[in-house]
Amino acid sequence: MSTSLPVAGPDTVRREATVLLREHRRSLVGVLGLHGLAAVAGLAGPALLGRLVDDVRRGVGMDTVDRIALVLAAAIVLQTGLTWAARRQSFVLGEKVFAQLREQFVERVVALPLSTVERAGTGDLVTRTTRDVDALSHTVRFAVPTILVAGLTTVLTVAAAFVTGALVALAVVVGVPLLWAGTRWYLRRAPAGYLAEMASYAVLNGTVTENVDGARTVEALSLGRERRSRVDRDLERSYHAERYTLWLRSVWFPTVEVGYFLPVAATLLWGGWLASNGHATVGQVTAVTLYVLALMDPVDQLLSWLDEIQVGASAFARIIGIADVPDDRAPTGAVPADDLIRARDVRYAYREGHDVLDGISLDLRPGERLAVVGPSGAGKSTLGRMLAGIHGPRTGSVEVGGVPLVDLTLEQLRGHVALVTQEHHVFVGSLADNLRLARPLADDAALRAALDAVDALNWADRLPQGLDTEVGSGGHELTPPQAQQLALARLVLNDPHTLVLDEATSLLDPRAARHLERSLSAVLAGRTVLAIAHRLHTAHDADRVAVVEDGRISEIGTHDELIATGGPYARLWASWTDTPVASERP
Amino acid sequence: MRALPYDDPGRPDLRTPGRFLWWIAAQQKAPLAAGLLWGTVWMVSQALIPVAVGRGIAHGVVDGEGRALLAWSGAVLLLALIQAGAGVLRHRCAVANWLQASFRAAQLIGHHTALTGEALPRAVPTGEVVSTVSNDAMRLGGAFDVSARFAGAIASYVVIAVVLLRISTGLGLLVLIGVPLLTAGLGVLIKPLQRRQSAQREQSGKLTTLGADTVSGLRVLRGIGGEQTFVERYRRRSQQVRARGVEVAGVQATLDAAQVLLPGVFVVLVTWLGARLAVQGRIDLGDLVTFYGLSAFLVTPLRTATEALDKVTQAHVGARKIIAVLRVTPGVLDRTGHQRSDPVTDAALHDPTSGVTLRPGVMTAVVSARPEESAALADRLGRFTEVPSSPVLIGAERIDVLPLASVRRHVVVSESDPRLFSGPLREQLVGASGADDVAVLRAVDTAAAHDVLDALPDGLDSDVEERGRSFSGGQRQRLTLVRALLTDAPTLVLVEPTSAVDAHTEARIAGRLRAHRAGRTTVVMTASPLLLDQVDHVVFLDGGELAAEGTHRELLATHRDYRRTVVRGEDE
Repeated sequence: MSTSLPVAGPDTVRREATVLLREHRRSLVGVLGLHGLAAVAGLAGPALLGRLVDDVRRGVGMDTVDRIALVLAAAIVLQTGLTWAARRQSFVLGEKVFAQLREQFVERVVALPLSTVERAGTGDLVTRTTRDVDALSHTVRFAVPTILVAGLTTVLTVAAAFVTGALVALAVVVGVPLLWAGTRWYLRRAPAGYLAEMASYAVLNGTVTENVDGARTVEALSLGRERRSRVDRDLERSYHAERYTLWLRSVWFPTVEVGYFLPVAATLLWGGWLASNGHATVGQVTAVTLYVLALMDPVDQLLSWLDEIQVGASAFARIIGIADVPDDRAPTGAVPADDLIRARDVRYAYREGHDVLDGISLDLRPGERLAVVGPSGAGKSTLGRMLAGIHGPRTGSVEVGGVPLVDLTLEQLRGHVALVTQEHHVFVGSLADNLRLARPLADDAALRAALDAVDALNWADRLPQGLDTEVGSGGHELTPPQAQQLALARLVLNDPHTLVLDEATSLLDPRAARHLERSLSAVLAGRTVLAIAHRLHTAHDADRVAVVEDGRISEIGTHDELIATGGPYARLWASWTDTPVASERP
Repeated sequence: MRALPYDDPGRPDLRTPGRFLWWIAAQQKAPLAAGLLWGTVWMVSQALIPVAVGRGIAHGVVDGEGRALLAWSGAVLLLALIQAGAGVLRHRCAVANWLQASFRAAQLIGHHTALTGEALPRAVPTGEVVSTVSNDAMRLGGAFDVSARFAGAIASYVVIAVVLLRISTGLGLLVLIGVPLLTAGLGVLIKPLQRRQSAQREQSGKLTTLGADTVSGLRVLRGIGGEQTFVERYRRRSQQVRARGVEVAGVQATLDAAQVLLPGVFVVLVTWLGARLAVQGRIDLGDLVTFYGLSAFLVTPLRTATEALDKVTQAHVGARKIIAVLRVTPGVLDRTGHQRSDPVTDAALHDPTSGVTLRPGVMTAVVSARPEESAALADRLGRFTEVPSSPVLIGAERIDVLPLASVRRHVVVSESDPRLFSGPLREQLVGASGADDVAVLRAVDTAAAHDVLDALPDGLDSDVEERGRSFSGGQRQRLTLVRALLTDAPTLVLVEPTSAVDAHTEARIAGRLRAHRAGRTTVVMTASPLLLDQVDHVVFLDGGELAAEGTHRELLATHRDYRRTVVRGEDE
């Protein structure tokens, strides 16, 4: 994938996460408060056991023991209730935040600049929409709450240990250096490792998508074996990425685990020494040791979820990275004065220093059909995209009614000019849904009229549920010509005054060309059309012909004028008419 | 650890999700066994730490014996080191198990997608197929990941019960019987949770599919509009998923609370009874600490068991989806096994449906007023569709009883819009043929595609983007023609190979194609006079049946319908 979409940097991730936390501050504080109370109730155990130990040593009656056990039971019940409320609240909050994130993501995706969408593969985007959103869901709904709760519990437990016996609890610090150094080492390397993992899975998903999507080609050319080894190669890359992060964890896990248990041994030893010198009671040593032992659970949680946070942060970086794509249009709010499309001294380069268009100026006359001819690679398609407002020119301008096309919003642009392409995705949804993309408020009558205009009403009416038939992946399968007619009907609903028709990529699926030509001419009628022609008869039938060579318009005029001039077009025409087709034409 | 991917992922048992999971487990017995071992050592040594602490308190702190204190503190440290070492080995085994299971499943699906042809996208939406690789295969691995910890949970439970039994029969029995009851109780709680979770997952899966579908059609969406409609539809569904999630939240919270309460009951009971025993002097204070520590530790195996249940259920769900993909069989099946020989390369092809016969070594053009009829003929010739009553004959052999692989080698059909795949261009063009650069350049020359190569930064070593999107339609068409020519198939069927290239280039291709294919059978479905003028023989179809044949000029002169079809657009 040579052009991948951006991934957000750590600063952006931090900023967006902060914004999110701030937005939900009140619910978050409530959730943490409940969890904190639950944790405090959970801390009663070791303290009570410490009491028991001291009491039993002093020799108390059964009633004291029973009373303490009753308090312990009450603490457990309290902890249970608080945990229930806290967990529920935090799940609800997680669902809310995650729904917000995924909706925001989809909003951003569909707002991606047209020029970016044209270039970036869908594999990467699909991965971000599926795997990354899934990973983030896990993070937001489970990892973040668990980390927060485990962190809180850890802090409260340590605090309880110090309250019980500050001197004894000092031993807990022996674990800190290992925890600190190990985690620091790990966190420095982990994000890159997890990002590489995810990128490798994106490639794998792209390959599988291509396999399914290009199934016919794979079968026709017996590419099965190549496609299989491709899958294996992608998996191998993922495997190496996984091995790397596994190595990171193989260093980090034992370091931190020792870092956690070391204080238990140390507390026991240090506490025992303190007790033998009368600086602490046996109960204190017992309670503090049990507190330190009880740290195992929250620290273990922290440990096992921290890398989920890493995964989530990586996913989050990719998801919000979408927002880093710079917009390719800068709407100024200007309203075109009329429907005239005018290009002035347009230059454009895909690679720096290699201008594909070299100073083209062109006025489209309303209602005319202008054919653009010229050899492959002369820049015809680029000119088409320029005039359809998909890219802005490097220098010069393309304007409609005095307003540069890239100064219009896409919504405005679509009302003026559209590029007719062969791409005919049928979306999952009803046929009507598919049509309403082009005009959301259109009623059924308008939809039927549009279908009728492109000669598609017949088959549409024969569908099981007519306009309400579910089409697209998994639904009723439309044939390619039907899908193309659907695309044309959308154009009718869009109703732009100018169409850019690129024969190379337009509706010329030869399997259906004849039938579709009628549909197409219905769409073209009454509009200004710039046709990038590969067939000279298209040029012959046009009102004017522009010859593009080496990124310039070398001549422009009516067919007859250009023939009379005897320039490049006349020579092209002669070579065409020299073929036997013309000589034997009746 | 075993290097992945596998050379051959094997032939899975697809009868039920359970059998599928079992089959996968059987393929990785060694890492599973190692995982069970280290998981056991790991969690048991953790469970023994409270015992050591209890002894340390009893002898070191209560009795104040310095050496005992040192010894038991040392024992805690030793256990800590053992559990850390075993823990990392356990983790490595778990990851190995997860990766092997997930990658085997992903590999099976990936390979399957390369073999089933058009049958798969017809049966399962593309997005769902991709999601079986990106989600379900990974979920499936989760069950294998948790197995090591699950083993540890069982083992530590047994150890705890035994330790307690040795000190107090009653307490030991309490744990021994209580823990399975608790797990069963949690299992009961889990059922409704899983039901709601799976309802939510299903909804959220649909949401993901909706998202993926939107993204796949993004070019159209951005070109034609309707983004807002989509965002609103997505948002609506997303809020439904959220509402389901809130339903799950209640049940999940109950489960979590139960995980506090039920072990908590143990802690209270064990501590209370233990304290009474200690008051009576039947156990020492160290034992009381051990009791408390062990009963508190029981949370870990309990939670692990619950998690294992959940992971296995998820794996089961994932396995069901994976099986649905793996069960799709190709639309056209090989009926022969391997016993038949290759089709005779110099035999004529005859299609009884249309009555067309293609002579060997000849370049034939098929013209039809309705191009879909030509395309249908191409499908029959390449055996992409079957006509059981009157199959295409290669020589005297029925095409549908010949080995499919050899038919695919013998007859290559290049459809009108073949796909380019991402990756280095050379690899794309050469495909299965193994052609060298000389052959590639010769085919590039025939397809008049030099300018395409010249425009690329690294020529043949350049990367092709997904679907060859960075190329124009004409460039893409010429590249796929190069690829088709490089197969060097005895019979090559080209459907509209030059529909997207300009007249100039088309004339050049037409002139070179016949020389390139000299001596082999070539069929071109086209109505372009430039190509027709260059072929040996032209077949004209009307209503899908042979209406006339001869040379292009003969037919032009004699057949009115043919003339009208070929010179359309020329005469108004």
